[in-house]
Amino acid sequence: MRTLLHYVRLYVLIATQYVKARMQYRADFWISSVGMVFTSIATVFVFWVLFHSIPDLAGWSFDEILFIYAFYLLSVVPLQLFFDNIWQLRFHVVEGSFIKYYLRPINMMFYYMSDMVDLKGWVQLALGVFMLIYASQRLGLTWNLWRLGVLGMALFSSSLVAISILTIAACATFWIVGSFPVMDLALKIRDFSPYPMTIFDGFFRFLFTYLIPIGFVAFYPSQFFLRPEQVPLLTYFSPLMGIGSFALAYFVWTKGVNSYTGTGS
Amino acid sequence: MNDTVVHVDHLSKHFRILNRREGLGGAIRDLFSADYKTVRAVDDISFDIQAGEIVGYIGPNGAGKSTTIKMMTGVLKPSDGTLLVSGNEPYANRRRNAQTMGVVFGQRTQLWWDLPVIESFRILKEIYRVDDATYEKHLGMFNELVDLKALYSQPVRKLSLGQRMLCDITASFLHNPRIVFLDEPSIGLDVSVKSKIRSVIRELNRAQRTTIILTTHDLGDVEALCRRIIIIDKGKIIYDGPIGKVTALFGAYRTLKVQIHNYKEGTSDQLEAALGARFGGDAAIAVEHTETGWTDVTVNQDQVPLFDVLRFVMETLPIKDVRIVEISMENVVQQIYDGALK
Ligand SMILES: Nc1ncnc2c1ncn2[C@@H]1O[C@H](COP(=O)(O)OP(=O)(O)O)[C@@H](O)[C@H]1O
Ligand SMILES: [Mg+2]
Repeated sequence: MRTLLHYVRLYVLIATQYVKARMQYRADFWISSVGMVFTSIATVFVFWVLFHSIPDLAGWSFDEILFIYAFYLLSVVPLQLFFDNIWQLRFHVVEGSFIKYYLRPINMMFYYMSDMVDLKGWVQLALGVFMLIYASQRLGLTWNLWRLGVLGMALFSSSLVAISILTIAACATFWIVGSFPVMDLALKIRDFSPYPMTIFDGFFRFLFTYLIPIGFVAFYPSQFFLRPEQVPLLTYFSPLMGIGSFALAYFVWTKGVNSYTGTGS
Repeated sequence: MNDTVVHVDHLSKHFRILNRREGLGGAIRDLFSADYKTVRAVDDISFDIQAGEIVGYIGPNGAGKSTTIKMMTGVLKPSDGTLLVSGNEPYANRRRNAQTMGVVFGQRTQLWWDLPVIESFRILKEIYRVDDATYEKHLGMFNELVDLKALYSQPVRKLSLGQRMLCDITASFLHNPRIVFLDEPSIGLDVSVKSKIRSVIRELNRAQRTTIILTTHDLGDVEALCRRIIIIDKGKIIYDGPIGKVTALFGAYRTLKVQIHNYKEGTSDQLEAALGARFGGDAAIAVEHTETGWTDVTVNQDQVPLFDVLRFVMETLPIKDVRIVEISMENVVQQIYDGALK
């Protein structure tokens, strides 16, 4: 408990300092935020076009897809906010600057991830909340405390899955020189997560459900709200899936960190 | 008195380097490849370091200094042998170990790059759970040594290399560690900053009786700071003892660097022979032509006056340019191999 508090205090301290420092480059913040909003709008637009040519995608309406997409946006917010430094891992490992993370009396993953605080996540959070409210209104969904609790739990699980997939992909750099394609592939696969898994055929559905469980990032958990009468049994295991995949990611990270020998200078 | 802070016994670190293949396909095949070459970066070394010592750990580039430091700080796992720092295996419990040591790695700062200097100190205070009184006391002391206050509000990335090094060094003492490792603290700095850094290190060692291990390939650093030095070359320790013996020997050595007009193969051998004939003694004068185009004439001033040699060289050969420098680490190592310390 004392340790947890220590980490929270530390994170807040580092994050507030970063925000202060970043605020001095307001232009940078706004430009990248606007870029993010446009990317999301463009994706929604693609959905929209898709739906106007094919009126229903394997039985899913536009509003339902929008809901799933909003869920997806929210579930990658923690990744954006707290794990953004994962994108730099390859650079630090190749340059040898990674060794500094071994030298403090705090958890290495925490130390590493706290070394970059990205503010764009907040914009994404706002966008996700807005889209979720919009979609649920169009769908006539009602929210009560119980359902909000379930939403919170579902988002928690999903964000762990999203974090884990990218962490594991990034860790490839500990063993493979030129691991960029691995990270790139993970990203491309992640981009499938806002799609209803039912549009995929057997093989891919199996892959995305069990092996690279991106189905748990948005689709399966959204079913609680969209089609509660046909939630697949597996969905109840989302939290387990989230925690399990994070445990695996942490294990891979630890293995990688211990096998890293630095660069020869 | 047994107050051993570092215990190193038959310690080795071998790197297995894969002969890499190209591209992603190659990378995947590499995962299963057995095409390795072994580098013995640290090869069976032993020594003990007592509390409060400043030890100079010196050797030419690639000797294995940083690798040793990385093992002592828990970054790398030893391939073989025993290593205890404050009684613990550094690698086995990094977090506990980190609490009692400070580390600075040459030109790589560990401060928060985009944040003002003082914020790095605040974050470190929180990381190491330094209490307010100690924190204030240490900052006060650092201020006297370095005039840190003037840098407080500057982001680390805006500091000069020397300022950054001073901040990194003082920061590594903030939590009152038992031992501090400084890996090439003066690399890339000019003479005045070097001497500043040396005096700060000396003061910090005195104020807190902190054990310090300092690596360098600059003999000047250790002359100013250490009573004991350990010289390492190609992963092996070739000298461990008082610095006096080494400076007595090499303090008198100077390298006369000359650029010879129309240098030809063999000119340096002819010069060496001529110098030997004129001044006698072969240990005193060594001549070597380097890739940079300079010819190095190493002179022991205790045996031959430097200026006599210079005059002789200038009379014998057409000289374009002359420089006088302290003996290089490579040269010291060569002399030790040749039996200079025997
Ligand atoms: N991570 C590594 N992988 C492979 N070889 C390495 C690695 N680190 C160091 N080496 C090699 O080990 C030797 C010693 O390196 P190092 O300890 O950095 O020397 P120094 O600090 O004395 O200059 C060098 O030959 C270097 O190339
Ligand atoms: Mg080194």
